[in-house]
Amino acid sequence: MPMIKVENLSKSFGGSEVLKAINLEVERGEVICVIGPSGSGKSTFLRCLNGLDQINGGRVLVGDLNIAEKSVNIDHVRENIGMVFQQFNLFPHLTVAENITLAPIELHKASKKEAEDLALDLLKMVGLEEKIHDQPTSLSGGQQQRVAIARALAMNPDIMLFDEPTSALDPEMVGEVLAVMKKLANDGMTMVIVTHEMGFAREAADRVLFMDEGVIVEENVPEQIFDAPQEARTQNFLNKIL
Amino acid sequence: MNLRQKLSKIFRLTLLFMILFVSVMEEAKAQDRTYIIGTDTTYAPFEFADESGRLVGIDMDLLEAIAKDQGFEYEVRTLGFNAAVQALESNQVDGVIAGMSITEERQESFDFSDPYYASGSQFAVASDSSIESFEDLNGESVAVKTGTTGYDVAEKLAAEYNFQLNAFEDSVNMYEDLQVGNSQAVVEDYPVMLYATSTGRIDLKFIGEQQAVVENGFAVNKGENRELLQMFNEGLANIRASGEYDEIIARYLGEEALAEQNNSENIFTQFLNNMRPLFEGLWATIWLAFISFFIALIFGVILGLMRTSDLSLFKILAQIYVDIMRGTPLIVLSFFIYFGIPQMTGLQFGASIAGIVTLSLNTTAYIAEIVRGGIQAVDEGQVEAGRSLGLTNEITLRRIILPQATQIALPSLINQFVITLKDTSILSVIGIVELTQTGKIIIARTYQSGSIWLIIGIMYILLITILTKLSSRLEKEL
Repeated sequence: MPMIKVENLSKSFGGSEVLKAINLEVERGEVICVIGPSGSGKSTFLRCLNGLDQINGGRVLVGDLNIAEKSVNIDHVRENIGMVFQQFNLFPHLTVAENITLAPIELHKASKKEAEDLALDLLKMVGLEEKIHDQPTSLSGGQQQRVAIARALAMNPDIMLFDEPTSALDPEMVGEVLAVMKKLANDGMTMVIVTHEMGFAREAADRVLFMDEGVIVEENVPEQIFDAPQEARTQNFLNKIL
Repeated sequence: MNLRQKLSKIFRLTLLFMILFVSVMEEAKAQDRTYIIGTDTTYAPFEFADESGRLVGIDMDLLEAIAKDQGFEYEVRTLGFNAAVQALESNQVDGVIAGMSITEERQESFDFSDPYYASGSQFAVASDSSIESFEDLNGESVAVKTGTTGYDVAEKLAAEYNFQLNAFEDSVNMYEDLQVGNSQAVVEDYPVMLYATSTGRIDLKFIGEQQAVVENGFAVNKGENRELLQMFNEGLANIRASGEYDEIIARYLGEEALAEQNNSENIFTQFLNNMRPLFEGLWATIWLAFISFFIALIFGVILGLMRTSDLSLFKILAQIYVDIMRGTPLIVLSFFIYFGIPQMTGLQFGASIAGIVTLSLNTTAYIAEIVRGGIQAVDEGQVEAGRSLGLTNEITLRRIILPQATQIALPSLINQFVITLKDTSILSVIGIVELTQTGKIIIARTYQSGSIWLIIGIMYILLITILTKLSSRLEKEL
């Protein structure tokens, strides 16, 4: 069974349809990169996968649960789907450790000690264990984004969603964040990544989706998409940015 | 002790304080039949506060002597004349003794005791004035006190002698108007004016005879408290017979009393002489502000949350509340609660309760707006980050939004507290003796309004400055 199954998903804001009849299956351990021009609906598509945006048609199944159904507890579904945002969205009133331990303590009833051990492990993984007691605002953008990844991992999710995780970073900090993401991919995490980092997509993705005007125009392994795109729109987009 | 512990200690102390306060109020109610008597604040020699802040005067001493003779318990509320009369109508007090003339009009609403004193209204001008008679008042202005017999007398004579009336709420303002020259004459009950001039507090020259001599009586609401009225009459007869009545009158209007001189004192002496009532007033102000603000904080947060909720019913209810409270002047609200609600519902409560309810209701609306603003100022990404971790709406609100909203709203909340603290002064209109009312009472005795208002103003400024400094330290620690 796929980890995520999207059937005929459509989504409108006001009168305009931003996603049109999208279908997708994401297998366990698969890394999918979503590329495409601004306004193509990539981020909205990602946000529909954990219900941050509500869909207007079709279904999103996570495991065997239809997340739009009333009987499904969306909070439980989200515990299993980590999300990383373009603007990091760390909690500025909490320390780095508290950002990470908040959800395990509130939801898993973890003891403070257990949660702090977990936080330390996760911070080691992203290379920031010495920042454990700092305030998020004292960190650089790249460091903040790595803490945000550690926070999303604290609930031990099976799936991670990344919404343009490096777009708000200064160029010299992009690498450290991508390195952490690569490590996650190598460890077998199921990931859906909206990104403009074509190099990363080529190296890390199992499959690349090219989206434009609310539809998936083309999907294939990275070599095919980048070296031999079949669709004119894909060629056009890649020509502009590469 | 860290800040959180400190705050929780303050919180527990406040709670304890409120519980104590409520139980004291309950106890006061439980006591067997204590009559509540309303009176004026500023009506020497009938009632005024002496230097230690104790209420004395002909009315007070008579009441004390009569109560002792008849063996009943009573408690005096200094409300101001108009407020006392309204309080009697709404059964907030059992009786009123305030040098009140027995008139036909008042007899329609109240039952009066046997008269205990007779006096008329006296016209007077500044001692150096050239005005000698009513005829000389042609084209001039006369200061009068609203709701008094003197007012009615002056109104009648105004047409005949062609003078204008300047109306004031209390005697002090009336005399000030004369002293600064806005009015050329004043009208006041004869004994009041005699006391004020003879004790050297004010330099006046009487013109004409006492007008419309009427008798003063103790009043109860029509048909109510018959036994109190009867005891008053019997007691009055007894102390007249024993000679105690004459002693009391002589105490305030006899040669000796009138010879007493009140040299004008400097501001420091004024402050020292009135220190006790001033600090009691200051304490009442602090106490009223803290309790009201605390209550308003609880309801304001609830209402603020309702304002930002997704449920439109909650939103609309909260919006209506805020609109009503923001649209109502505090003074109107306090009159409505203290005088209106008892008249409409028969519910009884003291001025302190009415004052706290008034301030809390009003402040709740403003705090709700501050809380709403604080919540809406928290970035939407914070909610999304919380919810995407699987946190419920409630946890997201409690752990992520409210702490940040509090930080954002804190300066506005501190500002609102300062406003609430200053607004306590408005409660003086329903007779609560806080700092402003204390000032009015002292001035009624000393006629030194300039220096007393300066002292009161400085006390407010110091208090608010200290509290603001403390809260900005708190703000930094958070």
